[in-house]
Amino acid sequence: MSVLGAALNWLAEWGFIFVVAGAIAAFCVRGSARRRSLVRVLLVVGSIVIGSIFLAAAYGKLKPLPGFPWSWASLKTSIALFAIQVESYNLLSSSAANTVAHILPFAELFLGLWLITGIWRRYSSLVACLAFAGFMIAIFSAYRRGLKIDCGCGVGPAEQAGPGALLRDGLRFLLPSLIVCTGAFWIRKQSALSPAATEAPESAAPASQ
Amino acid sequence: MQRRDSSQRPERPQRNTRGHWPLWLWRSAAVVAVLSTVVLGATLRAQPRAAADRVSSLIPSGQPLETYGSSSAPITMVVFTDYECPSCRALYENTLRPMINDYVASGKVYLVHHNFPLPQHKYGYEAARWVYASARVGEFANAEAALYDNQDAWAASGDIAKYVSAAMPAPEFRKVEQLMKGCSFSDAPGTCPLDSVINADRALGEEIPVRATPTYVIVYKGRRLPAASGAVSWPILKQFFDSLLSQ
Repeated sequence: MSVLGAALNWLAEWGFIFVVAGAIAAFCVRGSARRRSLVRVLLVVGSIVIGSIFLAAAYGKLKPLPGFPWSWASLKTSIALFAIQVESYNLLSSSAANTVAHILPFAELFLGLWLITGIWRRYSSLVACLAFAGFMIAIFSAYRRGLKIDCGCGVGPAEQAGPGALLRDGLRFLLPSLIVCTGAFWIRKQSALSPAATEAPESAAPASQ
Repeated sequence: MQRRDSSQRPERPQRNTRGHWPLWLWRSAAVVAVLSTVVLGATLRAQPRAAADRVSSLIPSGQPLETYGSSSAPITMVVFTDYECPSCRALYENTLRPMINDYVASGKVYLVHHNFPLPQHKYGYEAARWVYASARVGEFANAEAALYDNQDAWAASGDIAKYVSAAMPAPEFRKVEQLMKGCSFSDAPGTCPLDSVINADRALGEEIPVRATPTYVIVYKGRRLPAASGAVSWPILKQFFDSLLSQ
Protein backbone atom coordinates (compact mmCIF):
# COMPACT_ATOMS: atom_id res chain seq x y z
CA MET A 1 0.00 0.00 0.00
CA SER A 2 2.87 2.32 0.73
CA VAL A 3 4.10 1.68 -2.84
CA LEU A 4 0.72 2.73 -4.18
CA GLY A 5 0.79 5.79 -1.94
CA ALA A 6 4.29 6.69 -3.11
CA ALA A 7 3.30 6.25 -6.77
CA LEU A 8 0.18 8.37 -6.35
CA ASN A 9 2.12 11.01 -4.48
CA TRP A 10 4.78 11.13 -7.19
CA LEU A 11 2.18 11.48 -9.93
CA ALA A 12 0.29 14.07 -7.88
CA GLU A 13 3.41 16.12 -7.26
CA TRP A 14 5.07 15.93 -10.66
CA GLY A 15 2.27 15.07 -13.10
CA PHE A 16 1.56 18.76 -13.67
CA ILE A 17 4.74 18.92 -15.78
CA PHE A 18 3.24 16.53 -18.35
CA VAL A 19 -0.03 18.46 -18.41
CA VAL A 20 1.61 21.86 -18.78
CA ALA A 21 3.99 20.52 -21.47
CA GLY A 22 1.02 18.99 -23.30
CA ALA A 23 -0.89 22.26 -23.14
CA ILE A 24 2.07 24.18 -24.55
CA ALA A 25 2.43 21.61 -27.33
CA ALA A 26 -1.28 21.87 -28.13
CA PHE A 27 -0.93 25.63 -28.47
CA CYS A 28 2.11 25.32 -30.71
CA VAL A 29 0.97 22.54 -33.02
CA ARG A 30 -0.36 23.53 -36.46
CA GLY A 31 -3.58 22.18 -37.90
CA SER A 32 -6.84 21.83 -36.05
CA ALA A 33 -7.06 18.05 -36.52
CA ARG A 34 -3.62 17.50 -35.02
CA ARG A 35 -4.41 19.92 -32.22
CA ARG A 36 -7.62 18.06 -31.43
CA SER A 37 -5.76 14.77 -31.33
CA LEU A 38 -3.14 16.23 -29.03
CA VAL A 39 -5.75 17.75 -26.74
CA ARG A 40 -7.52 14.40 -26.52
CA VAL A 41 -4.30 12.75 -25.37
CA LEU A 42 -3.70 15.65 -22.99
CA LEU A 43 -7.16 15.19 -21.52
CA VAL A 44 -6.56 11.51 -20.82
CA VAL A 45 -3.14 12.17 -19.24
CA GLY A 46 -4.41 15.21 -17.37
CA SER A 47 -7.40 13.36 -15.97
CA ILE A 48 -5.11 10.62 -14.68
CA VAL A 49 -2.81 13.21 -13.10
CA ILE A 50 -5.62 15.15 -11.40
CA GLY A 51 -7.33 11.92 -10.42
CA SER A 52 -4.06 10.81 -8.81
CA ILE A 53 -3.94 14.05 -6.81
CA PHE A 54 -7.34 13.33 -5.32
CA LEU A 55 -6.56 9.65 -4.76
CA ALA A 56 -3.26 10.60 -3.08
CA ALA A 57 -5.07 13.15 -0.91
CA ALA A 58 -7.70 10.59 0.10
CA TYR A 59 -4.99 8.00 0.78
CA GLY A 60 -3.04 10.50 2.89
CA LYS A 61 -6.11 11.18 5.01
CA LEU A 62 -7.29 7.59 5.37
CA LYS A 63 -4.00 5.72 5.76
CA PRO A 64 -3.27 4.35 9.23
CA LEU A 65 -1.12 6.33 11.61
CA PRO A 66 2.52 5.22 11.82
CA GLY A 67 2.75 1.83 13.48
CA PHE A 68 -0.89 0.86 12.94
CA PRO A 69 -2.12 -1.75 10.44
CA TRP A 70 -4.96 -1.13 7.98
CA SER A 71 -8.24 -1.85 9.76
CA TRP A 72 -11.65 -0.35 10.31
CA ALA A 73 -10.49 1.01 13.67
CA SER A 74 -7.39 2.62 12.13
CA LEU A 75 -9.60 4.20 9.45
CA LYS A 76 -11.75 5.76 12.16
CA THR A 77 -8.64 7.00 13.96
CA SER A 78 -7.28 8.59 10.78
CA ILE A 79 -10.60 10.34 10.16
CA ALA A 80 -10.67 11.53 13.78
CA LEU A 81 -7.17 12.94 13.35
CA PHE A 82 -8.23 14.65 10.13
CA ALA A 83 -11.16 16.20 12.04
CA ILE A 84 -8.60 17.82 14.34
CA GLN A 85 -6.82 19.25 11.28
CA VAL A 86 -10.06 20.56 9.79
CA GLU A 87 -11.02 22.18 13.07
CA SER A 88 -7.61 23.84 13.40
CA TYR A 89 -8.56 26.09 10.45
CA ASN A 90 -11.09 27.79 12.75
CA LEU A 91 -13.55 28.10 9.90
CA LEU A 92 -16.19 25.63 11.03
CA SER A 93 -17.90 24.63 14.22
CA SER A 94 -16.82 21.37 15.87
CA SER A 95 -19.75 19.41 14.49
CA ALA A 96 -19.33 20.86 10.98
CA ALA A 97 -15.57 20.13 11.04
CA ASN A 98 -16.34 16.58 12.10
CA THR A 99 -18.86 16.16 9.29
CA VAL A 100 -16.41 17.55 6.72
CA ALA A 101 -13.68 15.22 8.00
CA HIS A 102 -15.96 12.23 7.56
CA ILE A 103 -17.09 13.20 4.05
CA LEU A 104 -14.09 14.86 2.39
CA PRO A 105 -11.69 11.87 2.10
CA PHE A 106 -14.40 9.73 0.50
CA ALA A 107 -15.46 12.60 -1.77
CA GLU A 108 -11.83 12.90 -2.88
CA LEU A 109 -11.68 9.17 -3.48
CA PHE A 110 -14.83 9.34 -5.59
CA LEU A 111 -13.63 12.39 -7.51
CA GLY A 112 -10.25 10.77 -8.17
CA LEU A 113 -11.87 7.65 -9.61
CA TRP A 114 -14.37 9.73 -11.57
CA LEU A 115 -11.55 11.73 -13.17
CA ILE A 116 -9.51 8.65 -14.05
CA THR A 117 -12.46 6.88 -15.65
CA GLY A 118 -13.04 9.93 -17.82
CA ILE A 119 -16.82 9.85 -17.53
CA TRP A 120 -18.24 13.33 -18.15
CA ARG A 121 -14.74 14.72 -18.01
CA ARG A 122 -15.86 18.34 -18.39
CA TYR A 123 -17.87 18.17 -15.22
CA SER A 124 -15.37 16.14 -13.21
CA SER A 125 -12.55 18.54 -14.08
CA LEU A 126 -14.81 21.50 -13.27
CA VAL A 127 -15.57 20.00 -9.85
CA ALA A 128 -11.82 19.43 -9.38
CA CYS A 129 -11.11 23.11 -10.16
CA LEU A 130 -13.76 24.24 -7.68
CA ALA A 131 -12.43 21.87 -5.03
CA PHE A 132 -8.85 23.11 -5.43
CA ALA A 133 -10.04 26.72 -5.40
CA GLY A 134 -11.94 26.01 -2.17
CA PHE A 135 -8.88 24.41 -0.55
CA MET A 136 -6.73 27.36 -1.57
CA ILE A 137 -9.21 29.85 -0.13
CA ALA A 138 -9.17 27.94 3.18
CA ILE A 139 -5.36 27.92 3.26
CA PHE A 140 -5.18 31.61 2.36
CA SER A 141 -7.70 32.42 5.07
CA ALA A 142 -5.66 30.52 7.68
CA TYR A 143 -2.51 32.29 6.54
CA ARG A 144 -4.18 35.71 6.68
CA ARG A 145 -5.32 35.03 10.24
CA GLY A 146 -1.78 34.10 11.27
CA LEU A 147 -2.58 30.46 11.99
CA LYS A 148 0.51 28.27 11.85
CA ILE A 149 -1.17 24.96 11.23
CA ASP A 150 -0.55 21.90 9.11
CA CYS A 151 -2.47 22.36 5.86
CA GLY A 152 -3.80 18.79 6.19
CA CYS A 153 -3.64 18.39 2.43
CA GLY A 154 -2.66 14.72 2.54
CA VAL A 155 -0.43 14.99 -0.55
CA GLY A 156 3.34 14.96 -0.10
CA PRO A 157 5.08 15.86 3.14
CA ALA A 158 3.23 17.79 5.83
CA GLU A 159 3.24 21.47 4.98
CA GLN A 160 2.26 24.53 6.94
CA ALA A 161 -0.71 26.50 5.64
CA GLY A 162 0.97 29.47 3.96
CA PRO A 163 2.54 30.72 0.74
CA GLY A 164 4.36 27.42 0.12
CA ALA A 165 1.15 25.41 0.29
CA LEU A 166 -0.67 28.00 -1.85
CA LEU A 167 2.06 27.93 -4.49
CA ARG A 168 2.04 24.14 -4.55
CA ASP A 169 -1.74 23.93 -4.81
CA GLY A 170 -1.86 26.61 -7.47
CA LEU A 171 0.94 25.33 -9.67
CA ARG A 172 0.70 21.58 -9.23
CA PHE A 173 -3.00 21.08 -8.65
CA LEU A 174 -5.16 23.98 -9.83
CA LEU A 175 -3.23 24.76 -13.03
CA PRO A 176 -3.47 21.23 -14.53
CA SER A 177 -7.12 21.09 -13.49
CA LEU A 178 -7.83 24.35 -15.29
CA ILE A 179 -5.99 23.08 -18.37
CA VAL A 180 -7.97 19.84 -18.44
CA CYS A 181 -11.26 21.63 -17.78
CA THR A 182 -10.61 24.17 -20.54
CA GLY A 183 -9.48 21.42 -22.91
CA ALA A 184 -12.54 19.29 -22.19
CA PHE A 185 -14.93 22.16 -22.87
CA TRP A 186 -12.93 23.17 -25.97
CA ILE A 187 -13.12 19.66 -27.40
CA ARG A 188 -16.84 19.59 -26.73
CA LYS A 189 -17.28 22.92 -28.50
CA GLN A 190 -15.20 21.75 -31.45
CA SER A 191 -17.29 18.61 -31.67
CA ALA A 192 -20.47 20.65 -31.72
CA LEU A 193 -19.13 23.00 -34.42
CA SER A 194 -17.72 20.27 -36.60
CA PRO A 195 -19.38 16.85 -36.38
CA ALA A 196 -16.41 15.30 -38.17
CA ALA A 197 -14.33 16.21 -35.19
CA THR A 198 -16.25 13.68 -33.13
CA GLU A 199 -14.57 10.89 -35.01
CA ALA A 200 -12.57 10.21 -31.90
CA PRO A 201 -14.79 11.77 -29.27
CA GLU A 202 -13.96 12.55 -25.70
CA SER A 203 -13.60 9.03 -24.51
CA ALA A 204 -16.12 8.87 -21.72
CA ALA A 205 -18.75 11.33 -22.81
CA PRO A 206 -21.92 9.45 -23.74
CA ALA A 207 -23.29 10.19 -27.20
CA SER A 208 -26.52 11.50 -25.74
CA GLN A 209 -24.88 14.49 -24.05
CA MET B 1 -30.79 -2.19 -46.31
CA GLN B 2 -27.73 -1.51 -44.24
CA ARG B 3 -26.15 0.50 -47.05
CA ARG B 4 -29.26 2.67 -47.35
CA ASP B 5 -29.33 3.37 -43.57
CA SER B 6 -25.76 4.46 -43.45
CA SER B 7 -26.19 6.77 -46.43
CA GLN B 8 -29.17 8.40 -44.74
CA ARG B 9 -27.12 9.37 -41.68
CA PRO B 10 -23.67 10.25 -42.93
CA GLU B 11 -23.09 12.90 -40.25
CA ARG B 12 -23.59 10.45 -37.40
CA PRO B 13 -20.17 9.00 -36.61
CA GLN B 14 -20.18 5.37 -35.63
CA ARG B 15 -17.81 5.78 -32.71
CA ASN B 16 -20.27 8.02 -30.95
CA THR B 17 -22.76 5.23 -30.71
CA ARG B 18 -20.66 2.11 -30.89
CA GLY B 19 -17.51 1.14 -29.10
CA HIS B 20 -17.74 4.18 -26.83
CA TRP B 21 -19.35 2.82 -23.70
CA PRO B 22 -17.22 -0.32 -23.63
CA LEU B 23 -14.05 1.82 -23.69
CA TRP B 24 -14.78 3.75 -20.51
CA LEU B 25 -16.40 0.75 -18.96
CA TRP B 26 -13.28 -1.29 -19.47
CA ARG B 27 -11.09 1.48 -18.13
CA SER B 28 -13.27 1.88 -15.05
CA ALA B 29 -13.21 -1.85 -14.45
CA ALA B 30 -9.43 -1.91 -14.83
CA VAL B 31 -8.97 0.92 -12.33
CA VAL B 32 -11.31 -0.69 -9.80
CA ALA B 33 -9.63 -4.09 -10.26
CA VAL B 34 -6.13 -2.68 -9.76
CA LEU B 35 -7.16 -0.69 -6.69
CA SER B 36 -9.06 -3.63 -5.19
CA THR B 37 -6.07 -5.93 -5.68
CA VAL B 38 -3.67 -3.46 -4.10
CA VAL B 39 -5.96 -2.73 -1.14
CA LEU B 40 -6.69 -6.42 -0.56
CA GLY B 41 -3.02 -7.38 -0.81
CA ALA B 42 -1.96 -4.61 1.52
CA THR B 43 -4.63 -5.54 4.06
CA LEU B 44 -3.52 -9.16 4.11
CA ARG B 45 0.13 -8.24 4.40
CA ALA B 46 -0.33 -5.46 6.93
CA GLN B 47 1.87 -5.83 9.96
CA PRO B 48 2.24 -3.37 12.79
CA ARG B 49 5.35 -1.34 12.21
CA ALA B 50 7.73 -0.12 14.83
CA ALA B 51 7.24 3.45 15.86
CA ALA B 52 9.41 5.70 13.77
CA ASP B 53 9.95 8.22 16.47
CA ARG B 54 11.18 7.68 19.95
CA VAL B 55 9.28 9.38 22.69
CA SER B 56 11.54 9.11 25.69
CA SER B 57 12.72 12.72 25.50
CA LEU B 58 9.15 14.03 25.41
CA ILE B 59 8.01 12.39 28.60
CA PRO B 60 9.94 13.42 31.69
CA SER B 61 11.41 10.65 33.75
CA GLY B 62 12.13 10.70 37.49
CA GLN B 63 9.77 12.97 39.36
CA PRO B 64 7.87 14.95 36.75
CA LEU B 65 6.51 18.23 38.03
CA GLU B 66 4.38 19.85 35.35
CA THR B 67 2.10 16.94 34.61
CA TYR B 68 -1.44 15.76 35.24
CA GLY B 69 -2.51 12.17 35.79
CA SER B 70 -0.73 8.86 35.80
CA SER B 71 2.26 8.11 33.58
CA SER B 72 0.84 4.61 33.05
CA ALA B 73 -2.15 5.98 31.08
CA PRO B 74 -2.35 4.56 27.54
CA ILE B 75 -2.38 8.03 25.96
CA THR B 76 0.15 10.76 26.71
CA MET B 77 -0.48 14.27 25.49
CA VAL B 78 2.57 16.51 25.51
CA VAL B 79 1.72 20.20 25.22
CA PHE B 80 4.09 23.08 24.49
CA THR B 81 2.61 26.38 25.59
CA ASP B 82 3.34 29.99 26.44
CA TYR B 83 1.29 31.33 29.37
CA GLU B 84 0.82 34.70 27.69
CA CYS B 85 -0.44 33.24 24.40
CA PRO B 86 -4.22 33.69 23.92
CA SER B 87 -4.51 30.47 21.86
CA CYS B 88 -2.85 28.57 24.69
CA ARG B 89 -5.41 29.98 27.10
CA ALA B 90 -8.21 28.94 24.75
CA LEU B 91 -6.76 25.44 24.52
CA TYR B 92 -6.49 25.23 28.29
CA GLU B 93 -9.94 26.63 29.07
CA ASN B 94 -11.89 24.87 26.33
CA THR B 95 -10.04 21.61 25.89
CA LEU B 96 -7.46 20.75 28.53
CA ARG B 97 -9.57 21.67 31.54
CA PRO B 98 -12.48 19.37 30.59
CA MET B 99 -9.94 16.74 29.57
CA ILE B 100 -8.21 16.93 32.98
CA ASN B 101 -11.55 16.52 34.72
CA ASP B 102 -12.58 13.62 32.50
CA TYR B 103 -9.94 11.50 30.74
CA VAL B 104 -6.99 12.44 32.97
CA ALA B 105 -9.04 11.79 36.11
CA SER B 106 -10.15 8.40 34.78
CA GLY B 107 -6.57 7.34 33.96
CA LYS B 108 -6.92 7.37 30.17
CA VAL B 109 -4.64 10.34 29.47
CA TYR B 110 -1.38 11.56 30.96
CA LEU B 111 -0.91 15.27 30.30
CA VAL B 112 2.62 16.64 30.18
CA HIS B 113 3.33 20.34 30.00
CA HIS B 114 6.44 21.86 28.46
CA ASN B 115 7.27 25.57 28.45
CA PHE B 116 7.75 27.32 25.15
CA PRO B 117 7.70 31.04 26.00
CA LEU B 118 7.71 33.14 22.85
CA PRO B 119 10.04 36.16 22.62
CA GLN B 120 7.22 38.51 21.54
CA HIS B 121 5.43 37.99 24.85
CA LYS B 122 6.86 40.31 27.48
CA TYR B 123 5.95 38.30 30.56
CA GLY B 124 5.68 34.81 29.08
CA TYR B 125 9.10 33.69 30.25
CA GLU B 126 8.60 35.02 33.79
CA ALA B 127 5.19 33.36 33.98
CA ALA B 128 6.85 30.07 33.05
CA ARG B 129 9.29 30.59 35.94
CA TRP B 130 6.46 31.24 38.42
CA VAL B 131 4.57 28.16 37.31
CA TYR B 132 7.67 25.96 37.43
CA ALA B 133 8.50 27.27 40.93
CA SER B 134 4.90 26.49 41.94
CA ALA B 135 5.28 23.01 40.49
CA ARG B 136 8.35 22.50 42.68
CA VAL B 137 6.14 22.95 45.76
CA GLY B 138 3.29 20.82 44.34
CA GLU B 139 1.03 23.68 43.22
CA PHE B 140 1.40 23.36 39.45
CA ALA B 141 -2.28 22.87 38.66
CA ASN B 142 -3.41 25.82 40.79
CA ALA B 143 -0.78 28.18 39.45
CA GLU B 144 -1.43 27.24 35.83
CA ALA B 145 -5.19 27.69 36.23
CA ALA B 146 -4.70 31.05 37.95
CA LEU B 147 -2.43 32.38 35.22
CA TYR B 148 -4.70 31.30 32.37
CA ASP B 149 -7.83 32.55 34.15
CA ASN B 150 -6.25 35.99 34.68
CA GLN B 151 -4.08 36.19 31.57
CA ASP B 152 -5.35 39.56 30.39
CA ALA B 153 -4.75 41.17 33.79
CA TRP B 154 -1.17 40.06 34.46
CA ALA B 155 -0.18 40.37 30.78
CA ALA B 156 -1.10 44.07 31.07
CA SER B 157 0.36 44.79 34.51
CA GLY B 158 3.14 42.21 34.78
CA ASP B 159 2.04 41.42 38.32
CA ILE B 160 2.16 37.64 38.08
CA ALA B 161 2.90 37.14 41.79
CA LYS B 162 -0.49 38.55 42.72
CA TYR B 163 -2.38 35.79 40.92
CA VAL B 164 0.03 33.01 41.88
CA SER B 165 -0.24 33.97 45.55
CA ALA B 166 -4.03 33.92 45.38
CA ALA B 167 -3.98 30.41 43.93
CA MET B 168 -2.28 28.63 46.86
CA PRO B 169 -1.95 28.72 50.65
CA ALA B 170 0.40 31.37 52.07
CA PRO B 171 3.10 28.93 53.32
CA GLU B 172 3.34 27.38 49.87
CA PHE B 173 3.57 30.78 48.24
CA ARG B 174 6.44 31.74 50.56
CA LYS B 175 8.32 28.66 49.31
CA VAL B 176 7.61 29.71 45.73
CA GLU B 177 8.94 33.18 46.47
CA GLN B 178 12.14 31.64 47.84
CA LEU B 179 12.58 29.69 44.64
CA MET B 180 11.94 32.81 42.60
CA LYS B 181 14.86 34.74 44.12
CA GLY B 182 16.88 36.15 41.26
CA CYS B 183 14.06 35.33 38.82
CA SER B 184 11.93 38.46 38.78
CA PHE B 185 11.54 40.57 35.67
CA SER B 186 13.99 43.20 36.88
CA ASP B 187 16.75 40.71 37.73
CA ALA B 188 19.66 40.26 35.37
CA PRO B 189 19.31 37.47 32.80
CA GLY B 190 21.04 34.21 33.66
CA THR B 191 20.66 34.64 37.43
CA CYS B 192 17.55 32.52 37.79
CA PRO B 193 18.21 28.88 38.73
CA LEU B 194 14.89 27.83 37.16
CA ASP B 195 15.89 28.93 33.67
CA SER B 196 17.78 25.77 32.83
CA VAL B 197 14.53 23.77 32.96
CA ILE B 198 12.61 26.28 30.84
CA ASN B 199 15.44 26.49 28.32
CA ALA B 200 15.61 22.69 28.15
CA ASP B 201 11.86 22.63 27.43
CA ARG B 202 12.30 25.18 24.67
CA ALA B 203 15.20 23.26 23.15
CA LEU B 204 13.03 20.14 23.13
CA GLY B 205 10.27 22.11 21.44
CA GLU B 206 12.63 23.27 18.74
CA GLU B 207 13.45 19.64 17.99
CA ILE B 208 9.77 18.77 17.43
CA PRO B 209 9.69 21.42 15.82
CA VAL B 210 7.28 23.80 17.55
CA ARG B 211 6.43 26.57 15.07
CA ALA B 212 3.61 28.10 17.08
CA THR B 213 1.95 27.73 20.43
CA PRO B 214 0.12 25.71 21.45
CA THR B 215 1.67 22.65 19.85
CA TYR B 216 0.86 19.19 21.09
CA VAL B 217 2.19 15.72 20.49
CA ILE B 218 0.14 12.64 21.26
CA VAL B 219 1.82 9.39 22.23
CA TYR B 220 -0.20 6.20 22.26
CA LYS B 221 1.36 3.08 23.74
CA GLY B 222 4.85 4.31 22.89
CA ARG B 223 3.95 5.42 19.35
CA ARG B 224 4.45 9.08 18.74
CA LEU B 225 1.92 10.69 16.40
CA PRO B 226 2.64 13.76 14.26
CA ALA B 227 2.71 17.05 16.15
CA ALA B 228 -0.28 19.34 15.72
CA SER B 229 -0.84 22.95 16.58
CA GLY B 230 -3.75 25.32 16.92
CA ALA B 231 -7.17 25.06 18.40
CA VAL B 232 -8.94 21.80 18.98
CA SER B 233 -12.19 21.39 20.86
CA TRP B 234 -12.64 18.78 23.54
CA PRO B 235 -15.39 16.83 21.66
CA ILE B 236 -13.13 16.44 18.60
CA LEU B 237 -10.08 15.52 20.69
CA LYS B 238 -12.15 13.12 22.78
CA GLN B 239 -13.37 11.43 19.59
CA PHE B 240 -9.76 10.95 18.54
CA PHE B 241 -8.79 9.55 21.94
CA ASP B 242 -11.77 7.18 21.87
CA SER B 243 -10.77 5.89 18.45
CA LEU B 244 -7.20 5.38 19.67
CA LEU B 245 -8.38 3.54 22.76
CA SER B 246 -10.57 1.27 20.63
CA GLN B 247 -7.57 0.05 18.58
